[in-house]
Amino acid sequence: MRTNAGVIAVTVVALFLGVLAVTQIQAQDVYSRSLQLETPASLTTLIANLSERNNAIKDEILDLRHRADTAREAIASGKGSLTEAERQLGQLRVFAGMSAVSGPGITVRVEGTFDERALSDLVNELRNAGAEAIAVNTARVGPRSWFGATPDHALTVDSAAVRGPWQVRAVGATDVMYVAMTRTGGIIGQFQLIYKGTRFDVTRESALDLPALTTPLR
Amino acid sequence: MASAERTRLAHSLVLLLPAVLFGLLVSVQWRTQSDRNELTVRYNTPLLDAAKTLQNEQNTLKAQLADLRAELDQIQTSASTQSGSAKDLQVRIDELKLVAGLNERTGDGVIITLDDARGASAAKDIEKSICHNTDLTDIVNQAWRGGAEAIAVNDERIVGSSSIYCVGSTIMVNGTLMSPPFSVVVIGPQNDLLATYDDPTQLRDIKQRRDVYGLGFRVSRASGLRVPSYGGALNVKYATPR
Repeated sequence: MRTNAGVIAVTVVALFLGVLAVTQIQAQDVYSRSLQLETPASLTTLIANLSERNNAIKDEILDLRHRADTAREAIASGKGSLTEAERQLGQLRVFAGMSAVSGPGITVRVEGTFDERALSDLVNELRNAGAEAIAVNTARVGPRSWFGATPDHALTVDSAAVRGPWQVRAVGATDVMYVAMTRTGGIIGQFQLIYKGTRFDVTRESALDLPALTTPLR
Repeated sequence: MASAERTRLAHSLVLLLPAVLFGLLVSVQWRTQSDRNELTVRYNTPLLDAAKTLQNEQNTLKAQLADLRAELDQIQTSASTQSGSAKDLQVRIDELKLVAGLNERTGDGVIITLDDARGASAAKDIEKSICHNTDLTDIVNQAWRGGAEAIAVNDERIVGSSSIYCVGSTIMVNGTLMSPPFSVVVIGPQNDLLATYDDPTQLRDIKQRRDVYGLGFRVSRASGLRVPSYGGALNVKYATPR
C-alpha cells in the first residue's frame, strides 16, 4: 500500500517537473528573455535599428523586382541580360571589397595610443552605421579582414602593418555615420575616456577614394 | 521492523532528488517571473510588441529577398547560355558570391560556444560574467586570423557589412535580435583555427573571465558544418566602383 503511494507521489512530482521544465524552456526562447528586461530607452533604440534594417531590405526587394522584370524583358526582346549581369558584378565587387571605390563619407583620425581591439570595434561601429566600404590608411578592409598588432605598436590589417596616426575612412551616408560616431555616449566618447592621451577627430567628407583589397579572397 | 524502516528510508531517498529538482525549477521560474514583473513598466509592453513584430517582419522580408535573388539567378543563368561574354560574367558573379558570403557553405571547421556564466560564480561580477558584443567581435576576428572561409553567429552569416551590435543586454547581428547562448560556426582549416584559439596571447579577457567567473567559452573541432548564406540587404548606394 505504502509502495503504491510512493509511486503515485513520484509520478505526480515527475509530472510537475515536466510541466515546469517545458515552461522554463519556453520562457527562455531565442531573444524574448533579454528583451523583456530591456528599458524603454533600449527598446526604442532596438526598434529604430530593426526598422532601418527592414527598410533597407524592402528597398532591395523593390530594386530586385525591377531588375528581374527588366532582365526578363531584355531577354524576351533578344538583347540578353548583359546590363543586369554587369550591374550585379559591379555591386558584388564593391560588397566584397574587390574594386576601388569613390563616394561620400567620413574620416576618423586617430593619433596616439590605440590597439587592434579598438580598431576592430571602430570598424564594427562604422558597419553598423551603414558603411559600404572602409579603409585603414591605405589598407582596404574586406569581408574577411582581421586586425592585429606588431610588437613595435603598429596595427595590422590582414597581416599588413598600418602605422599611426591612423585614418579610418568610410564611404556611406555621411550624416548617419558622423552622428553614430560622435553622439553622446557613442564610440568616440568611450574611446576618449579609455585612451586619454589620444586625439580623435571625425570629419565629414564629400568625396573619398578607397583602394581595393590587395589580397584575393580564397 | 528494521525492514519496514529501510523501506521507508528508501522511499524518502527516491523522492529526495525529484523534490530538489522541483524546488530548483520553482525558484528559477519564480525569479524569471519576478524580474519581469518588476521591470515590465507601462511603456514596455507596446515597445516589446513592436520589436517582436519588426523582427517577424524581417524574417518574412529576408525570405522574400532570398526568393528574388534565386529568381534573378535563374534568369541570369538561362541568359548566360546565349553568349560567351554573358557566360564569363556569370562565372565571375558566382565566384564573387562565394567569397562575399551570398552562398551557403558546408565543410569542416570549429564551433565556438559562448554563454553567460551560470551558477554561484556569476554573482561575483555580473558585467564580467555575461557575454558582450565585443566578445563576439573578438571571436570573429580570431576566426578570420585563423584562416576562416565562412562564419555564422547563431545562423547569421558574417559578411563585409556585418556588425555585432549591443543595445542593453540584447545583441543584434546583421540587425537580427539574439541572446545567449551563442554558437559561432566557423568553416576553415581546423588545426590553424584551433591553434589560434589556443594561443594564450589571444582572447585573454574571455579566457580569464571563463576561468574566474564561469563565462561559457568552448572551442571544439567539428565536421560537416553548414553556414547559411547572407540574407540581408547588400546596401551599395553611396560607393561607386572606380
